[in-house]
Amino acid sequence: MVNPVHIVSIGLAAAFLMSLAGKRQQNILAYFLMIAVGAMSFISLQWLMEIYSGGAGREVFTAGFKPPFAINLRMTMDEAVLTSIINIFGLFSIIYLFDTFKKANNHLLSIFIIYLMGLNVMVMTRDLFNLFVFLEIVAIATAGMMIMSSDKKGISAGFKFLIASSVISGLLLLGTLFGYTYTGTLNIDMMQALPLIKGGAVALFLIVVALVLETKPFPANGWALDLYTSANHGVGAMLSVLSAPAIMFVVYKMLPVIPQDWQLVISFFGIITFAASNYLAIRQENIRRMLGYSSVAQGGLLLATVGLADYLGGSFYFVALGFLLTNLFAKAGLFWLGGIVNSDNMNKWGILRKKPVLLLLFGIFAAALAGLPPFPAFFAKWELVMQLGAGEGWGWIAIMLIGSLFEIAFLFKWVGRVFKAENEENAPANFAMHKQIPALLLGAGIIAASYFFIDYLNFNLTFVLIPLLAIAAFFVIDYAPAFIKNILLIGALSFYGYMIYPELQGDIMKLVFAGIFLIGGVLTLFPGFSAKGARKGFYPFAAMTIFGLLMLVNPADNLTFFMGWELMALGSFILILRGKMAEKPAFRYMLFSAGGAYVMMAAFAMLNNISGAEFFGNINIPANTAGIIFALLAIAFMLKAAAIGLHIWLPGAYAEAEDDATPLVSGVLINSGVLGLVLLVTSFGPQTLFGYDILHIMGWIGAITAIGGNMLAIYEEDMKRLIAYSSVGAMGYIIFALAINTKLGLLIALYYTILHFIYKTMLFISAAGVMHRTKTRNMYEMGGLIKSMPLSFIVVLIGIITLAGMPPLAGFAGKWMFYNAIILKEWYIQGAMIFFSGIVAFLYLYKLISSVFLGQLKDNHRKVKEAPFYYIIPQLILVMAIMVLSVQPQWLMQPLSTIIPASFAGEALQWDGNLATLSTGYWNAFTIMSVVMAMFGILFLWLVYHSRKAQKVKQFNIVFAAEKPFRPETTHVSYNIFAAYKKALGWMVTPLATRFWERLSDIFTAIADKFRTWYTGNGQTYALHLLIYAFILYIAISGGKLL
Amino acid sequence: MEQYLTLQNIGIATGFALILIGLYGGLTNKNILRIIVSFTIFNSGLNIVIVALAYLKGRVAPIIDDTTGLDNLSQKFVDPVPQALVLTAIVIGLGVTGVMLAYALKMYQNKQTLNINDFKETKW
Amino acid sequence: MSIDWMKLLFALLGLFIVLNYGLLQYGIIRRITARIGKRIGMPVYQPYIDLIKNYAMRSQITHGVMYYLGPVFRLAGGVGVFMFMPLIFGSELWSNYSFSGDVILILYFIFFGMLGMALGASEGGHPYSFIGISRGLSQFTTVEVPFTLAVIAIAAQSGSFSITEIVAAQQGGIENWNIIANPFAGAAGLLAFLGMMMAAPFNVVQAPTEIPIGPPTEYHGTYLGMLQTNRAVLYIAEAILMVNLFFGGATNWVELLLKVFMVSMWPVFVGLVFPRFRIDQSIPWFLKIPLILGIIGIFMI
Repeated sequence: MVNPVHIVSIGLAAAFLMSLAGKRQQNILAYFLMIAVGAMSFISLQWLMEIYSGGAGREVFTAGFKPPFAINLRMTMDEAVLTSIINIFGLFSIIYLFDTFKKANNHLLSIFIIYLMGLNVMVMTRDLFNLFVFLEIVAIATAGMMIMSSDKKGISAGFKFLIASSVISGLLLLGTLFGYTYTGTLNIDMMQALPLIKGGAVALFLIVVALVLETKPFPANGWALDLYTSANHGVGAMLSVLSAPAIMFVVYKMLPVIPQDWQLVISFFGIITFAASNYLAIRQENIRRMLGYSSVAQGGLLLATVGLADYLGGSFYFVALGFLLTNLFAKAGLFWLGGIVNSDNMNKWGILRKKPVLLLLFGIFAAALAGLPPFPAFFAKWELVMQLGAGEGWGWIAIMLIGSLFEIAFLFKWVGRVFKAENEENAPANFAMHKQIPALLLGAGIIAASYFFIDYLNFNLTFVLIPLLAIAAFFVIDYAPAFIKNILLIGALSFYGYMIYPELQGDIMKLVFAGIFLIGGVLTLFPGFSAKGARKGFYPFAAMTIFGLLMLVNPADNLTFFMGWELMALGSFILILRGKMAEKPAFRYMLFSAGGAYVMMAAFAMLNNISGAEFFGNINIPANTAGIIFALLAIAFMLKAAAIGLHIWLPGAYAEAEDDATPLVSGVLINSGVLGLVLLVTSFGPQTLFGYDILHIMGWIGAITAIGGNMLAIYEEDMKRLIAYSSVGAMGYIIFALAINTKLGLLIALYYTILHFIYKTMLFISAAGVMHRTKTRNMYEMGGLIKSMPLSFIVVLIGIITLAGMPPLAGFAGKWMFYNAIILKEWYIQGAMIFFSGIVAFLYLYKLISSVFLGQLKDNHRKVKEAPFYYIIPQLILVMAIMVLSVQPQWLMQPLSTIIPASFAGEALQWDGNLATLSTGYWNAFTIMSVVMAMFGILFLWLVYHSRKAQKVKQFNIVFAAEKPFRPETTHVSYNIFAAYKKALGWMVTPLATRFWERLSDIFTAIADKFRTWYTGNGQTYALHLLIYAFILYIAISGGKLL
Repeated sequence: MEQYLTLQNIGIATGFALILIGLYGGLTNKNILRIIVSFTIFNSGLNIVIVALAYLKGRVAPIIDDTTGLDNLSQKFVDPVPQALVLTAIVIGLGVTGVMLAYALKMYQNKQTLNINDFKETKW
Repeated sequence: MSIDWMKLLFALLGLFIVLNYGLLQYGIIRRITARIGKRIGMPVYQPYIDLIKNYAMRSQITHGVMYYLGPVFRLAGGVGVFMFMPLIFGSELWSNYSFSGDVILILYFIFFGMLGMALGASEGGHPYSFIGISRGLSQFTTVEVPFTLAVIAIAAQSGSFSITEIVAAQQGGIENWNIIANPFAGAAGLLAFLGMMMAAPFNVVQAPTEIPIGPPTEYHGTYLGMLQTNRAVLYIAEAILMVNLFFGGATNWVELLLKVFMVSMWPVFVGLVFPRFRIDQSIPWFLKIPLILGIIGIFMI
């Protein structure tokens, strides 16, 4: 075993030699530097392996004395991990900065290695003064790197940094010396008594405040932000992922000395830094500065974790490592990609699309940083929130989750830009291999880290690991042609269905939703067969969406459910983002998804606190808590189900997604919200919040959603938006039905869910086929397509008859049950609203079918053909399903009835053959169908007989006031066809929700804009901030009573 | 009053006074060179405090010579550790000052001014 | 499933009666209207003549399949509403196919014909058809609101959606009729009935002057004949629905037809007194007083 002190000696020797080397042969020097850092890495790695395999760590006593008479270094697991990270990352950095190093003079090289060496010692040393010395060495080295590697901006930023670090180190030195005076030692491990000694607390406070200030806490971190903004990308990466964790570790080392209540205060300040920095980042347009804010925020999160180390106990390493590794890989990766793109302008980042691997890397880094699964920060954040929940730290959770939401906001705005920004000709990008490879290594690193986290958590094989593997597999084979990937994905889903069927067999509820997700997934993939090329980036995310959904079906614990939820959100976000104009809607979708997810996370924290990790484990919870959990979860699920007020993400997201991806994200994915609501209502039962019956409120929400969604749909000219709004309406029905909370209500909800899935998928695929052929989404640009697309017409016709709930098709069953359920529940007014919305639906249904298929055919559509074969197949399958349900609804409803818990109130639907009865009414699908078919048939024959000689006439041969219309456009009445309705009842669709959310976001960004002017850019102001912060921390820690 | 006016207390008070003067100067002066000088004063103050803390009345500097002999040295000397530390601190202070001056030079070369208010390229 | 021939026979017989009654009543109504307008009016048997003429037209055109199916949908809708309606209280044979479903079925079956007609007319491609349909559907949405409230109120009162049950609950004297027992619901229902009948002031849908006969603009010959047949049947069927829901139903044909006649006169007289609403006036109208009446009706339960 090489003595760890040789890390220091190698570093120093290399630095000296290099400064002697002069300015010739930079090339060789750079390789030499690599060898030196490689040797340092070797030592630390060696210790890591040794300790990992059970070996002991080592205390190194310099100068042959034991402490307190000499400095000692320590090498245990913690130090081995951190020094390994520092040195290996240093090595990567050399590769990444190779061109800079070759061009720069030898001093930069020696400063670089001094910097690394300083960090190593900061980590290893147990001596306070030594720590001070090396902090200063690192500071000087940082300043040196800044002055040698950055542009003019960097110079002033470096100077501000020096001012700040002088003030901070002054505080540290003062604290250290007073600490020494009181305890007679400089060794951290021998200072435990310091806070107990009179006056010692002040010394300790000085040390603590200096260390905390070094972690760049909000708002005394202007110097750090400026540093990040102007540092060379490689240097910025090192500052973010090496300096910050090293200083965190120093705080961690000091913890035994710091009293418990101080730790909590520090931790809380860390959380505030996290939230506030993420908040201010939303207003940033300069990428490097944004990354700076993000780095500071991650630092805050790490500080919070460190401060909670004692509290977290066994989970500490899990959480800390999760955040540390994410920061290490993802943040550095983003900085380095920044170096490749070579621009701070978000709009120039589209250049990454030229290299799909880099684009993927970027996505991975952004998702990892945002704490999305399956990356370590996701699990770490979950664990941290659960632990905070166990201590009932709701305020902490709230601040943290709000911060996370802001983090999603700026990261995904950026992601959207990268995917959508126009590429310019003369972009300053630099795709040198020595820059790409280190970034790739970081990507590999984050994936490996994710693997270890998932492996550590012991997930269920069938329901978590196999789906994850399948998703990963589709990333690997993304170069294959679309056709093959389509077959593979359909095959994978089918096989997966076959595999999980035995496990779900006994549970019809799970079967229903697994069936919706699987069958829906397969059917909506069918149109993909007609796609050409590789269709890169579609299949991995389609797989992620569908398998994420499937994870929701049979979750073993809350974490699995939440992971599935987030995966599905991430996958569908990308699917939506693939659409042409989808940047803004996709961003909105992501924000709402994330908001819902974090609300859900908070609810799970409460649930976990009471009933453990098992999914919806023991629900016997004190009524008040249960009410809050119920309400939070209901909000989260209703957000996905697009309840009114929370629906504004939906139309844009569904409409702007690629045409053949829309059925998946809408018809199938929207059922995840339903699944959640069904589980919620069946397992929790009715709950109250502050005395209000939540289900009653949900009932009203459902009714208003139904009206609102349908009302909005009738004014849409865009085919997909129309169907999308119709989904909002349908979700209103389902929410309402669930809120009824009787046997019948639940049956309606389940029946409607399945029915809505069938007809909406059908309609969307049909619409996709039409849009595929006509190349437009505006219905008024279509017309008369019935003749060229008869199959699509029939499908849409059946879809809208079902949707409208007209007998004799299956939709009527839903309406009929609704009426009865409402009478039995005595919710007459809400019920009338539901029916009103049902009739309003006629308007947009009529518009949908007549504008597209009937009326006048346009000249440019005269040669349009029927939708491609692969579009028709799934539609026909779904039509068959509707037909079967229309004649024999009991085949579906009887099994559904069996899963309704007996504890539910109300009477159950009785079946006698085809006759369904309740005390309030009856209905027989089969005889209705028979009577209607017979009547229809006879009348049809009658007409055929009478008008057998009817002559087919040309398009314009109509009774048109003695005039012949000369253009289809002037004759086809479609645009704004319900103008009168808008005039009469348009006030109902005042976009209150949109206005509300937009105003809210305006307010937030405006405040962020105002607040960030706190960072004036003046180094002296920043120094003043430090002192103010110290004062505030002093008040917070002591209440002014330390002396 | 008398008993407070020990050499140690005077040292500490002077040190703190210098620290405050340095900080004040560092925060109020607009000229970068003046700021650097202020921080040097700040550092000197710190160093004086360190030395003063180590001072024990009636003892001598920790140098073995004829007057001290070799017995009971720990009773005769002032605390040697801060003395040693202060040397390091001075060196580091010098290093920092050096880097700051290098920065001042660069900044002046860039903008032909030494007013710190003119260096606010990065903000918000 | 075996077919009950007796039932079928009686249903068809009932249909025959209703059809003829409908045609006659339409003639009478036109006559009354004319007289009030100080005109003589057409003969009472004029609807028969129109019908025969239309069915006998030799030259016909078609715009396509859906255009062709439109009238079939429409008439099937009208006949269906009749078929699912019990006619005579207490009579198994005159209850048609009401065992298939209750009042909800009838409410939703009215849409069946409407939608088919709308689609058929749309394929004709005439702008007036589109305008008429958009007006008709728009107005219909709000007409249904007070009507639904009234139905819900009455069903809640009788504890059932079954028309037979609703009628049964109204037996034993005029004071048990829903129009008396729950006058607000009854009033809401009657006001909504005005809209359902599309008589003035709510006749802008077919608006004879500006958009000649609205949705059916392109229909002629047999198609128009079927639409006229439908009008006769559906008019009476809807009136029978009103009778069953609010006026105690009927125990024999005479009572039924008498009540139907009285109910049918209500939109006629209102229509004669009031001028026509614009469409953007008639849409919100139903969400004002009729809606309030309907809500009060529900709270009366």
